[in-house]
Amino acid sequence: MGQIFHSSINTLAKASIFGGVFLLGAIGWVGAQVQSSPWLTNQDVVVDQPVPFSHEHHVKGLGLDCRYCHTSVEDSSFAGIPPTKTCMTCHSKIWTDAPVLEPVRESWRTQLPMEWTRVHNLPDFVYFDHSIHVNKGVGCTTCHGQVAEMPLMFQNATLQMEWCLNCHRDPAEFVRPRADVFVADTNYPVQNTTPELLAKGHQLVELYHIPTDGRLTNCYTCHR
Amino acid sequence: MPMNQTNPLSVEQLAGLARRRGRNYWKGLEELAQTPEFQARLADEFPASASQWSGGFSRRRFLQVMGASLALGGLTGCVKSPQEKIVPYVQQPELLTPGKPLYYSTAFVLGGFARGIVVEQHEGRPTKIEGNPDHPASLGHTDAITQASILGLYDPDRSKVFSCEGDVTTWSRFAYVMANEMQAKRNQKGKGLVLLTETVTSPTLAAQIRSLLAELPLAAWHQFDAVGRDNVRQGAKLAFGAQRNVLYDFSKATVIVSLDSNFLIDDPGSVRYAKDFFGARRVKPDAPTPHTMNRLYVAEGTPSTTGSMADCRLPISGPDIAKLATVLAGHLGLDGGASRFGDLDLKATLEMTGNMDATHWLDAAARDLKAAGSGGLVLVGESQPPEVHALAHAINAQLKSAAAMTSDPIEAEPVVGIDSLRDLVGKMHSGDVDMLVIFGGNPGYAAPSDLDFAGAMGKVRLRIRVGLYEDETSQLCHWQVPQSHPLEAWSDTRAYDGTVTIVQPLIAPLYNSKSDHEILSVLAGGPEKGGHEIVRTYWNGQHSGDFETWWRTALEKGLIADSALPTSPAATISANVFRAMTQTTLARQVATLTLCFRPDPCVWDGQFANNGWLQELPKPLTKLTWDNAAMISPTLAGKLGVWNNDLVAITAAGKTVNLPVWVQPGQPSDTVTVHLGYGRRHTGSVGTGTGVDVYPLRSSSNPWYTRIEKIEKIDGTYTLAATHTHQTMADRSLPGVPADITPEVVKESGAHETAEKELSNRNLIRTATLDQFNADPNSAIRSMDEKGVSLSLYPGDPNNVYDKNYKWAMSIDLTSCMGCNACVVACQSENNIPVVGKEQVLAQREMHWIRIDTYYTGELDAPETYHQPVPCMHCENAPCEVVCPVAATVHDNEGINNMVYNRCVGTRYCQNNCPYKVRRFNFFNFADARPSIKMQKNPNVTVRSRGVMEKCTYCIQRITSTRLEIEKTQVRLEAAGAPHNEVVKQMQDMLDSLQTACQQACPAEAIVFGNINTATQPMAGTKSHVLLLQNSPLNYGILTDLNTKPRTTYMARLRNPPPLGDATTAPEKPA
Repeated sequence: MGQIFHSSINTLAKASIFGGVFLLGAIGWVGAQVQSSPWLTNQDVVVDQPVPFSHEHHVKGLGLDCRYCHTSVEDSSFAGIPPTKTCMTCHSKIWTDAPVLEPVRESWRTQLPMEWTRVHNLPDFVYFDHSIHVNKGVGCTTCHGQVAEMPLMFQNATLQMEWCLNCHRDPAEFVRPRADVFVADTNYPVQNTTPELLAKGHQLVELYHIPTDGRLTNCYTCHR
Repeated sequence: MPMNQTNPLSVEQLAGLARRRGRNYWKGLEELAQTPEFQARLADEFPASASQWSGGFSRRRFLQVMGASLALGGLTGCVKSPQEKIVPYVQQPELLTPGKPLYYSTAFVLGGFARGIVVEQHEGRPTKIEGNPDHPASLGHTDAITQASILGLYDPDRSKVFSCEGDVTTWSRFAYVMANEMQAKRNQKGKGLVLLTETVTSPTLAAQIRSLLAELPLAAWHQFDAVGRDNVRQGAKLAFGAQRNVLYDFSKATVIVSLDSNFLIDDPGSVRYAKDFFGARRVKPDAPTPHTMNRLYVAEGTPSTTGSMADCRLPISGPDIAKLATVLAGHLGLDGGASRFGDLDLKATLEMTGNMDATHWLDAAARDLKAAGSGGLVLVGESQPPEVHALAHAINAQLKSAAAMTSDPIEAEPVVGIDSLRDLVGKMHSGDVDMLVIFGGNPGYAAPSDLDFAGAMGKVRLRIRVGLYEDETSQLCHWQVPQSHPLEAWSDTRAYDGTVTIVQPLIAPLYNSKSDHEILSVLAGGPEKGGHEIVRTYWNGQHSGDFETWWRTALEKGLIADSALPTSPAATISANVFRAMTQTTLARQVATLTLCFRPDPCVWDGQFANNGWLQELPKPLTKLTWDNAAMISPTLAGKLGVWNNDLVAITAAGKTVNLPVWVQPGQPSDTVTVHLGYGRRHTGSVGTGTGVDVYPLRSSSNPWYTRIEKIEKIDGTYTLAATHTHQTMADRSLPGVPADITPEVVKESGAHETAEKELSNRNLIRTATLDQFNADPNSAIRSMDEKGVSLSLYPGDPNNVYDKNYKWAMSIDLTSCMGCNACVVACQSENNIPVVGKEQVLAQREMHWIRIDTYYTGELDAPETYHQPVPCMHCENAPCEVVCPVAATVHDNEGINNMVYNRCVGTRYCQNNCPYKVRRFNFFNFADARPSIKMQKNPNVTVRSRGVMEKCTYCIQRITSTRLEIEKTQVRLEAAGAPHNEVVKQMQDMLDSLQTACQQACPAEAIVFGNINTATQPMAGTKSHVLLLQNSPLNYGILTDLNTKPRTTYMARLRNPPPLGDATTAPEKPA
């Protein structure tokens, strides 16, 4: 009996086996890219707000401290969105007739709250706590990026679990002295990349009693 | 799928089995009989689920469907999270930190009496009720009903609008009409105007009513409670010659004799009493030996929570308790040489009860009371006539009991409610009532049937109903006025000892409702006032000096300092007591059955019928949910030829009611018990139509016990949803038990013994008497099967992560657990646990994270009762974890078994593999998402959706929150340069204040939680309370032979029964 397949089939078989692996790999790669793309994570996406509030102007230009508006960041899980009254402390005196501020004035007149669009939106099963991070030396810019250079607010990180775990697995790379937590200066390093900074980071991890035995990666640390 | 209840055995056979099982424990008669249904439940957590599989599936088809489901299921992850809005305040309230709860002290009122509470509020939403540690009636703890009352606030079925004869109207229209009506009444000095309230202890409300009555002298005020304290009040008046409030200090009592009193549950001071009682009862691990305990004697007409804790319990027909009390008084020498009781022959009286166990009970109780002297205490339940109460006061006076006290009455106007209502109905019938305003209560449903309240209502021209719901009474009225919930109105109230609490609102009225104070102020005329102004003005008038500071302190503490009424020993006894008793008809009504009424432990007199948490709460002892039933003894069941779920027709007071039967061990054989509060005709979507209304059987002359004229089995059955055999922990494969067990099999073969051995080997309940414990501290746990307890591949692993972190653990004291359910509701409230409904309960799908198993042992008609709360054990070697295919349940470094909802795919393998059966599965989307109910949810706990497993987390949200606060404090203090010892002291205090929800609620303090790793205590080496308990000789874990290493352990139940038989034995000297 003669051969069923022509010998050229060998090449085709090899190519298709290799191709199959390649194809599966490609599908996986595309999936991974989509999964971590801004389309899904909203990273770097500027969202519309009722008032085009500029962090750049207020932080860099005027030098406001983060806590002037985000008052509960040191004490509570929630950093706090400023009530209309906070805006009106200044804007009842300056830019009192600027058209872009009309929603703020309307809210003050009607005593109905502003409705901002959430920029950092974690899934409901994640229980993030601002206060513990701030108290243990995680700076605002470490997660929120160079807010002082954002005329309109956007999400700086993916906020995916992988990103959280980066720090929860090895906090030394990201911890800074507690005194510097609210430093919004764009020259301040957001990550301890140099050996000196890293050594300092390790000291701070010890000083602030940040657990390194894996407790920070327990499920109940964030999910419950 | 409901399983039919069958009893293949006769009552005699069951009784024989109970005896043969000896010191073994059974959860229900089904377990005793080993019915096929029980065995199915034992073998499989959801035996009914198999039948839900429609069948006809081939293996290939199954794989196809599952494969497709898996592939498509993965796609559900591919959703973009929706854009959300974030809404700040316009002006943020003072003191509020967004994301952090605030706590306010106030009071919950039941039957007029206050329980001091602290309410947790998240951004304006009250979410959880705790006890107020400063309040004498609470001391930080609560009961089940108080815990559940928060759900009532958010009930979407509440009365929401003002209406007049069915037409929706407004508050201002109501106020206008009232102003006109009241003007007319003023011209007639109030003739024909009647206010009907429940018991009033509120000083402000009383002052408002009195001022109205002073202005309108011909108007009248009546008070009526369906479950009141008439007999307690009359008994005190009989004994002391004046209206007195009776209260007890259980910390001073060493021998307690309860005559039909369920003082651990039913009394206005119950929460406090439970703490004091169990505080004096618990054996302290470090106390000098020999250890001491108090001793509790209970004689009762129906099994109660208090009775289940008795060291010596006597089931006896309720009306016979008067005889028992008389003989007890005689034994204690109160008869003054028998002359006081006239020619009453004590011995013959006792024989009249026909209860031979009574002799032993009486001898022992009398002997112990005599020996205890001022440590003795006799107390009587509301269900007994005033004469018995008076006699108990006389006994306490004779003993010079330090535990019995009296004070001035708490009630603003103490009346006998039933007489007050009878009087009112009489006036209504004779046309003397022109305008009736009914505040609260529900006389249209709960008035005694012989009074014909509904008929009398027809003769009143204008009827106004102020109520939380549009209920049966509203149906009889013209006006329906929505009443504010206690959590949304200003008021004030008094506790069992007179302590005044200002009731402050936690939230503005959700609906357009008004408080009683506001409505009364409209009736009184003058400008409209808010509740805040009314209450504040009243207290301003009572107070001189710096009112603002005083007011704020009172609000903050949740009580007005030194407002408790002064107490005096219950000493001066009127001679009428003895005369009254001889005049009572002590003659036994021969060969009759007694019908006993009790408030339902969950829905009470019916006012909580629309509360899903309480409806689904397995009632203590019976474990019934969603229904009431006629509780009968196994003996009577045998006589009537009925079993659980059969229907009987009960005729009493000339009325007949059909009820399903519940066979209850420990029930006196000549008594049928029915619970009030069910069969509501108008309340809301949850409560309407559940159970059977038994008020028609209740007459004004015999509100608690009445003669059954006729009881007979009728055709048909009714399926009751009882959870007593759900989640039974025992061996899953019972070798040698034939599935088709018949009476013959039981008699002939040793099969049962084999099964019993398997079951009893698990030793879930361990117990010892105090004498045994004093002789050998290990006697309670001696039987413990230690095999394999410390099996490990890594003995003494130096890298064990548990040694370097907090080790959370829980100890549950079975000596203190009375099965009151406070923990179950507290957990439900804290952890957003859904209500599933009766049909799902029948399929064993109730979701409670902590359940209370009740075990019996001994005689069917008078068993010993044991309660065992079962939360997740947080096993160090957790069987659930190894079987999860997606690692949705894993251990953390602190030994907590984490349940990760977002990973769970719902295989239920973990549930199958949990030997403790503590895992709960969301078969459907049980979470109630109605907008108002959503507001109750704890924002720190995920609301679980369909297809997700859940279970006790040791209140991980509380642990996390405490841990974060400790760590923040630590870095802050260290940065500020505080000395080390001060830092750790503060951290240790914070850690010690951590409580789980069940622990915080427990009135008996049976549950203790904490860190058992001394090395990781902030103050290294500190031994936590739970560690001390777990080192006690009474400590044991359950099913430890499976090498699960549970972190939740139990303290064996210690009992203190009187020495058997020999009356000459000197009683043990109590503490």
